Amino acid sequence: MAAAGHMTASGAPARTGGMTLRRQVLLLRIALLAGLLGIWEAAAASGLLFRDVVPSLLTIGRSLFELLAVPDFQWEVGITTLWVPDFYRHLWITMAEVGAGMTIGGFSGLAVGLALGANPFLSKAFERFLYYLGPTPKIIFFPLMIMWFGVGPGSKVAMGTISCFFPIVLSAAAGMRQIESVLIRVGRSFRLNTWQMVTKIYLPAMRQPIVNGVRLGLGVAVIGTLLAETKLSNRGVGFLIIDAYNTFDMPRMYSLLIVLFVVAIGANALVGRASRG
Amino acid sequence: MASADSILVVEDIVKRFETPDGVLTAVDHVSFDVAPGEFLAVIGPSGCGKSTLFNVIGGLLDGYDGRVSVAGETVSGPHPSIGMIFQEESTFPWRTVIDNVAFPLEIAGMGKSERYDKARHFVGLVGLDGFERRYPSELSGGMRQRVSMARTLASEPKILLMDEPFAALDEQTRLLLGDKVLQIQQDLKQTTLLITHNLTEAVQLSDRILVMTYRPGKTKRIVDIKLPRPRTSEIVGSDAFGHYVAQIWNDLREEASKGLKDDEQRVARAGAVRK
Repeated sequence: MAAAGHMTASGAPARTGGMTLRRQVLLLRIALLAGLLGIWEAAAASGLLFRDVVPSLLTIGRSLFELLAVPDFQWEVGITTLWVPDFYRHLWITMAEVGAGMTIGGFSGLAVGLALGANPFLSKAFERFLYYLGPTPKIIFFPLMIMWFGVGPGSKVAMGTISCFFPIVLSAAAGMRQIESVLIRVGRSFRLNTWQMVTKIYLPAMRQPIVNGVRLGLGVAVIGTLLAETKLSNRGVGFLIIDAYNTFDMPRMYSLLIVLFVVAIGANALVGRASRG
Repeated sequence: MASADSILVVEDIVKRFETPDGVLTAVDHVSFDVAPGEFLAVIGPSGCGKSTLFNVIGGLLDGYDGRVSVAGETVSGPHPSIGMIFQEESTFPWRTVIDNVAFPLEIAGMGKSERYDKARHFVGLVGLDGFERRYPSELSGGMRQRVSMARTLASEPKILLMDEPFAALDEQTRLLLGDKVLQIQQDLKQTTLLITHNLTEAVQLSDRILVMTYRPGKTKRIVDIKLPRPRTSEIVGSDAFGHYVAQIWNDLREEASKGLKDDEQRVARAGAVRK
């Protein structure tokens, strides 16, 4: 009986052959990356493509350096003035907009999701519409958001909010229904009050679906916010990208994409760690 | 069994359910009482309303006729003197063994070190020393069910109410866990009410067995089990044990075959409707 009690949850790799397999995977990845960069560099050098559509890696590297390390903006923070690359101000604006959207959309999504999960009548009445609206591209609401909240950060936050609301509400509702009913009966038999039921049983039991919802929500909130920033805007990373495109500064555009990519990986890793921690 | 000495009194319980096929009487005028320290098993075939009875006594079900009282006090809703152990897997997967067992103490507002000391005692009582920091997913089914048992025992209920706690386990594990239950009951003088469909288990553990009829669930017979205590699972091989099993099986077989016939008819009817 005790013998079955020694599995590890993380699934440790098999000792025999594990290292060589891992090394092979790593080598393959490096080879693939080097190959892609080689093809890129060859295409840039060949001159077959329109000038600057495929700039050389060196040009992109220089532009990346300029973007991240050459101060060109006086940023007034409180009483001090910082001399920084302008990019950081735009990144800060985008992060603040995404953060605000996630906060509003996340909490309202969680609240509505819990209500739908707890009440079969509400779920029967409304959940179908959420399933229809969920996959609809939220950019179609952007003209409305501009009219309601203006061309400033308000409409960007609204786009982030409506983007992340749907995945979070749907996973919270599904997560609540997935809770084993016996756990709720255990709570009742120990005479928990409503607050204890929510904090000691419902929320811990729903942790995984909620984290998944937040993860999906964060992804679409970033998309919604960036898309919104590319239209009628003069601030944020989305604006920088579309601005680089409009001025045909391709190396700068590629640098922005690379930075965004790294930021996205970092954000995902943070949420992933929060789900395990 | 004088009613005045009883810690648990179940009087004339009737529970009906509305179903699409009309009103179903799950429990029909069932009465019994349990003396302090006594081990009573309620046995019956599937569909005899055993689990309904369990939920009524545990206060998880209302809308019934009759009365359940603990030490003279009528039960409405879950009662602090009754500790329930469920048939299903019921450990909290996000808590370690020790935190599972300490759960009722945490709810009662007991301080951290005090509740861990107490929880450790109950972990030891069910024989899981050394597994305190493990998560339920790292344990076997039998070990998890012992965690649930320790968690309920930690709340120190006057009456332990168990609904087929070992139903999901294999027969050997079940007999060995039965030893554990016997030992705990001896050590704690724990009043216990066991709901089961398992004949061996019922005879192995009980002082008295209440046999229920198949739908509607009524009391068919109450049998005193006069096997000596302390007992272990070795008693399963004795003549006296076999005698009790045979006697109760006689009653039970009749009821179980009614259930079987009923099931067959229902399936046949459903098939006819589909055609």
